[in-house]
Amino acid sequence: MRFNNFFTATAISALVLVASSCQKVLDEGPYNAFTDESVFTTPERALLALNGVYDAGQSGSTTLAGRGYPFGAATVEQGDNRGEDMVNLAAFYQITYQGTYNPNTANNQAMWDNNYNMINKANIAIDGFRKVGSSGVISPTLALQYEAECRFLRALGHHELLVHYARPFLDGNGTAAEGGVPYRDYAVTGSATLDKLKTEPRPTVAAGYAKLITDLNFAETNLPITQPLGVVRATRAAAIALKQRIYMHMGQWTLAKAEGDKLIPATVTPLTPNSTVALIGGHRLMATPGEPFGIPGGNSVTAENIFSVKNDALDNGSVNGAMAQMYGSADLGGRGLVSVSPIIWNRAEWLANDLRRTQNNRLGGTANGTSAAGLAIMTTKYTDYINRGDNCPIIRFAEVLLNQAEIEARLTVGTVSQRAVDLLNMVRNRSSVAPAATQFTVTSFANDVAEVGAILLERRIEFLSEGRRWPDIHRTAMDPIVALRAAGIPAKVNNGTTGSALYGIGVPVTLGQAAIPYSDFRFIWPIPNGEVTQNPAIKQNPFY
Amino acid sequence: MRKLAVLLTLVLFSFAQTFAQTNRTVTGKVTDDAGNPLAGVTVSAAGTAKNAITDAKGLYTIQVPSNTASLKFSSVGFGDIESRIGSRTSIDVNMISESKALSEVVVVGYGVQQKKSFTGSSSKIDTKPFADLVTPSIDKQLAGRAAGVQVSNAGGGVGTPARIRIRGVNSISGGQDPLIVVDGVPFISGNLANVTNSNTLADINPNDIENIEILKDGSATAIFGSRAANGVIMITTKKGTKDGKMKVTYDATVGFSSPGSTYQLLNADQFVMIANEKRANAGLAIAARPSPTGTNTDWQSLIYNQNALAVQQNISFSGGTQKSTYFFSLNYSDQKGIIVSNSQKAYRLRFNFDTEVNKFVKVGNNLTLSKVIDLEQNNGTNALSGTVASALRALPNVEPYNPANSTGYNIQWPLLNQFGLGPNTIPVDDNYTNPAFTTQINKYSSDKLRINNNTFVELSLLKGLKFKTVFNFDVFSDYGFQGLDPRHGDGFSAQGSVFNSQITTQRWVWQNYLNYNKSFGSNNLYVTVGQEAQKDFSRSVSGSLNTISDIFFVGNNVISGTGVTQFSGGGYGKSGFQSFFGRVNYDFANKYFLQASVRRDGQSSLAPETRFGVFPGFSGGWRISQEKFWDKSSFLRKYLSDVKLKASYAIVGNALGGFPYLSTFSAANYGNLSGLAPNLIGNRSLQWERSKKYDIGVDIAILSGRFNFGFDWFLNDIDNLVLAVPTPPTAGIPGNSISQNIGTQRNRGTEISLSGELVRSKDFSWNFSLNHTNLDNKITSLYTIGGTPVNSIPGSYNTINVGSSLNVLSGYQYAGVNTANGNPMYFNGIGQLVQHNIANGAYYFATGKNDPTLGTQTSLGLNDRKFLGLSLPTYFGGISNTFRYKQFSLDVMVRYSGGNKVMNITRQEALVSQNFHNNGVEILDRWTTPGQVTNVPRLVQGQSNNINQNGLAISRFVESGDFIRLQNVSLSYTYNSKRLAEQTNGYIKNLRFFMQGQNMGLWTKYSGLDPENASQAGQDNAVSPQLRTVSFGVNVGF
Repeated sequence: MRFNNFFTATAISALVLVASSCQKVLDEGPYNAFTDESVFTTPERALLALNGVYDAGQSGSTTLAGRGYPFGAATVEQGDNRGEDMVNLAAFYQITYQGTYNPNTANNQAMWDNNYNMINKANIAIDGFRKVGSSGVISPTLALQYEAECRFLRALGHHELLVHYARPFLDGNGTAAEGGVPYRDYAVTGSATLDKLKTEPRPTVAAGYAKLITDLNFAETNLPITQPLGVVRATRAAAIALKQRIYMHMGQWTLAKAEGDKLIPATVTPLTPNSTVALIGGHRLMATPGEPFGIPGGNSVTAENIFSVKNDALDNGSVNGAMAQMYGSADLGGRGLVSVSPIIWNRAEWLANDLRRTQNNRLGGTANGTSAAGLAIMTTKYTDYINRGDNCPIIRFAEVLLNQAEIEARLTVGTVSQRAVDLLNMVRNRSSVAPAATQFTVTSFANDVAEVGAILLERRIEFLSEGRRWPDIHRTAMDPIVALRAAGIPAKVNNGTTGSALYGIGVPVTLGQAAIPYSDFRFIWPIPNGEVTQNPAIKQNPFY
Repeated sequence: MRKLAVLLTLVLFSFAQTFAQTNRTVTGKVTDDAGNPLAGVTVSAAGTAKNAITDAKGLYTIQVPSNTASLKFSSVGFGDIESRIGSRTSIDVNMISESKALSEVVVVGYGVQQKKSFTGSSSKIDTKPFADLVTPSIDKQLAGRAAGVQVSNAGGGVGTPARIRIRGVNSISGGQDPLIVVDGVPFISGNLANVTNSNTLADINPNDIENIEILKDGSATAIFGSRAANGVIMITTKKGTKDGKMKVTYDATVGFSSPGSTYQLLNADQFVMIANEKRANAGLAIAARPSPTGTNTDWQSLIYNQNALAVQQNISFSGGTQKSTYFFSLNYSDQKGIIVSNSQKAYRLRFNFDTEVNKFVKVGNNLTLSKVIDLEQNNGTNALSGTVASALRALPNVEPYNPANSTGYNIQWPLLNQFGLGPNTIPVDDNYTNPAFTTQINKYSSDKLRINNNTFVELSLLKGLKFKTVFNFDVFSDYGFQGLDPRHGDGFSAQGSVFNSQITTQRWVWQNYLNYNKSFGSNNLYVTVGQEAQKDFSRSVSGSLNTISDIFFVGNNVISGTGVTQFSGGGYGKSGFQSFFGRVNYDFANKYFLQASVRRDGQSSLAPETRFGVFPGFSGGWRISQEKFWDKSSFLRKYLSDVKLKASYAIVGNALGGFPYLSTFSAANYGNLSGLAPNLIGNRSLQWERSKKYDIGVDIAILSGRFNFGFDWFLNDIDNLVLAVPTPPTAGIPGNSISQNIGTQRNRGTEISLSGELVRSKDFSWNFSLNHTNLDNKITSLYTIGGTPVNSIPGSYNTINVGSSLNVLSGYQYAGVNTANGNPMYFNGIGQLVQHNIANGAYYFATGKNDPTLGTQTSLGLNDRKFLGLSLPTYFGGISNTFRYKQFSLDVMVRYSGGNKVMNITRQEALVSQNFHNNGVEILDRWTTPGQVTNVPRLVQGQSNNINQNGLAISRFVESGDFIRLQNVSLSYTYNSKRLAEQTNGYIKNLRFFMQGQNMGLWTKYSGLDPENASQAGQDNAVSPQLRTVSFGVNVGF
């Protein structure tokens, strides 16, 4: 009996002991992540949170995670494949190339989801920066700078959405009801903000543009002139250049000119383009067209690059998204999925000995092989085929110059603008083997419309394979100068067309794929199903 | 008081006198079912202490008072028999072995219960057949063996765990797998390895399993509280016996597996015709040409094994004394899969030992050690080097090998990551790679080590009171390796890539509980109270290299300095459970039963203020056959010898993982700049998912248990679903969802099981068993948006609809092909005919199927989607028959399932692809000429989206998932034990040879490989075929 008592006592005390000591079992938290309360507490963590917003801009983690949506690669690839100057060779961008989107299409969903994901991360970070700024964890100036960087990205993201999912501003000055995309400028972190958001219908396009300008004005005021890490973080010049671009989309030429004037000196040097230095940020054209990219070792970080999104061997759009893989010649280690189209290559206006033909392009192997039938002109702007570390160029000084050329030309209605000719020559002469002989003069153009036309063509050549084609088609589809209007989505060569024989100045081009008129529903993408089903306030684009 | 005592004594004494007046003698013989004499049967006279035992010849003699009404015969393993004496002096009795269902115990949480007093619902799996099967793990063999338990194996991968659902799918966003409990302790389970599929249940040697009990209803599972919503599988391993002798058994099997079926693809000539027709219709030049050498490659034959070898050897030693028992086993198994690169090799050891130190203390230890090595391949269904995906699309007029290439394969190394062109002008579309190369050269492996050790001490404190403390330590370690060759396939662009990862998951569980039994009169009481704590701890580290200096370094492991680009990664996590539980069972006279249990669980995944939940369970039973009126009817006694009615109700929960209540920021690096970004928006008020389980059932034993019948009606009423409520993407919430306790669903159904012995004689017997389940899953509510209930969450192929079962297939209703122009046609949401113009992808109203006119432009959208079928089966079951003739035994098991539909994505995306791919023979029926009536639209290169609606379900590709499968046929011969003993001087005690076939037949209308290849959401996309295995084996007992 004593024995039993002993055991009973042991057992009961064991139970009590275990019961009390095991309370610790439940006291656990995550080790792989911070809780939201602990992020905005030190200057170092605040900077980490800012980098996190850039990261969301580089490669989002929602649909098609890790493929460079929105700005690590996809903005370039979708922007090119919606246009006619590049050819989709395999199935990869076929839906984009042929405009066969439906509300479930992955690319469409990825562009939407990842942009808004970046935007909300920016909005959450903005709240955090205001908190650490006011509590003195970081200086108020730094807090404003961080907020400005976030608002720059927020504007960039919303504008990308506007050109894909909404009709252009110039279509009735963007006043059509529910024609725009939601402009998210508050952090969504729980049910209260979620409920609020679900009551907000699509705004007008004009309302979106107004908010873009507000954000960019704030960014211009609070961004530094230079960033320690160079072009991969936003600067004052980047905010100004983006504003210049956006005013052009709005057809606000005077306002656009004012932005360009902040960067471009009154005197430019068309015969020595490299010696004109921007008024803010020290930007200038590099001596050759290859330099702003991979030749030699450019990687979109030169003085010419105003803003580029960082990629490197550790973090990039992967073999299924990185530009060097998608656009790179198959014989160099790329996948050869997208080539330059003979539509642009065969244009006589693009001079035969223009350096861009050789420094930015080559005849290379494609997804269709390396036989003559499989060869095509391939870009060499992205050359890190193995590590895929090419940064994604978002704004170059060449664009600021060509933007301004177009703005000047449009503002001098009825006459050919000398200033516009000079600015156009800046970019064109840089790639010319004999600039003095080949450069334009005011007499090169019959009138101002011809001058604008030449500038628009120059953009197609200069920004080929940088994704700028679609935004240009979008903004010129309802151009006030009717003669310059893009024909909706222009006719293209057939998907998958390759062959070295197709290329050469003057070689006729077969346009197997018909144009899609501006009035067609396919001109803009559908709002993804995830949005229209979860947010009754959001109306689908017609016919989707 | 004293007077009363004296009086009472007198009365009793005189009573006894009266009864003891005369004795008489009864004799007789007791025999068993087969008529053999039965020794050791207790014969007792009702109402007296007199008893006798039968001798070796089954004879007995008993003296009983003359007024004794009846004799009772009882023996372990046989049903008691009461025989009225009347005037007889000789009574012969034929005893019938008691059905297992009634004599056995049920393994429940923290104890065992007698089957007859068990008022919950459970299924016991007969584990004997498992020992003969060639199988990597037991989960793969559970299908069709128990009512209410649905088990599916998607594809033939040997390391892929089976999908087990008990009484339906009981959660939408949360866990759906049952809790696995081995020897009383929650076992680390799931698909945990990094590089390959991994089945943690493969760590248990199927031969070591004594018993599998599947607990299904609320009352049986409520003692597991927050982890019981998906049911509980209790696995008990073998122990030694106390008879003092060592038993040695040796089993060996050898098996050969082949694909159950493969796709019928185009041959080279058909491919050339179809591919060029696609291109011509798209205005493209001809690209496919017949091979001048007549090449006609069957790519599937290059990735699939025929007669893949499986060998298994097992030896066990068991035995014990009155105080101690042991069971020790060693197992080696090597099973090749049907994909040439797939295999699983396992080495498993078990040592179970327990001993009574003295009459108060018992200690024991169960140890499992196992090493399992899985080899696999790229299984990606859309991956360019996905084994099945690329074999379906590879061009048949292209050779797999090319001696001129330094690799020996027909690839364009070193120039391109492409197939050789063969006679064609372009390679296969989309950069699909040569599966012969990628499958044979690239490596995917997982080398796993498992240690599970369970130590217990049991103290007998007072009569009927026992205290048990159990400490279990479980470690699962996975060492993964992936080596991708630089010359072709996934490793090309990285110039060779090597990846290693190490994951270690550890768990300790400490249980302390008291069991108390007390009987007073006819009242029996069993009480269990206790406490359990569990802590899980996992960590991982990985490293990888790209741009490998030489192919030599791709083969085995990351080797320092051999790659230019180097990456590393890792993770760390802890979580815990803390629980108190109690259970009271009460029965009166083995007739009325009541049970109540409760568990209070705390889990670290939930916020401190909400983390505790209380989960009660109740049940009751009535053995109506024990009532007097039943006993009086000889009909009832004979034909319905045991009838138990039962009912139960419980509330159980579904555990959560991670820390969903917290909003967190995780690493979000901007290139090489470290960053942090929100990765989860938490919900502080998150609570347990709650399942209210109801069950009403009856268990009937017929003819003293020769036949057994069971019926259960059940209802799982689930609320507080932890639903990942979709958020609009414009909210930018990570993952586009927030977990909320919202939404309800239910699973309702019936289960029938019937088993028995149809024929019983000395030389021949026929046993059968069947089980059948009807299941009805219904989502009853979801969440609301601005107060308006949401009735539907559309996905790509599936929709979650209120009022239907989870994930119904939903999409456009196909109307066939326009006979005039070959365009596909659909019915829109209101039944109007719509033509999908292939040329521009736009939809137009149509007047008829023969009219090519494009009417007004329209569109097909969400509102035009229709219900196309359930993805979850509504009924399933299994039928087993065992025939024994003399020394031969034949087992045949058939199982079936149905009521569901399968979206055949393989067909949609590969077999009728419009790209420069090979296709299935279906595409030969394409529309070519006006007036032709067919279901396959006109071919146009590159227009898969417009023609096949890739990414969406359409009725054209939705097919019936009903099937009947001849699961097992097994023939065995047992050597006559008497002769064996003579011939081997008693050294070999038993000897048995067997041969077996698994998956020997499949009857289905499904056009794909196997309707079971579908995912739970009813999608079948490029999954490897199921195994068809023929095996031979021997069991020897020493």
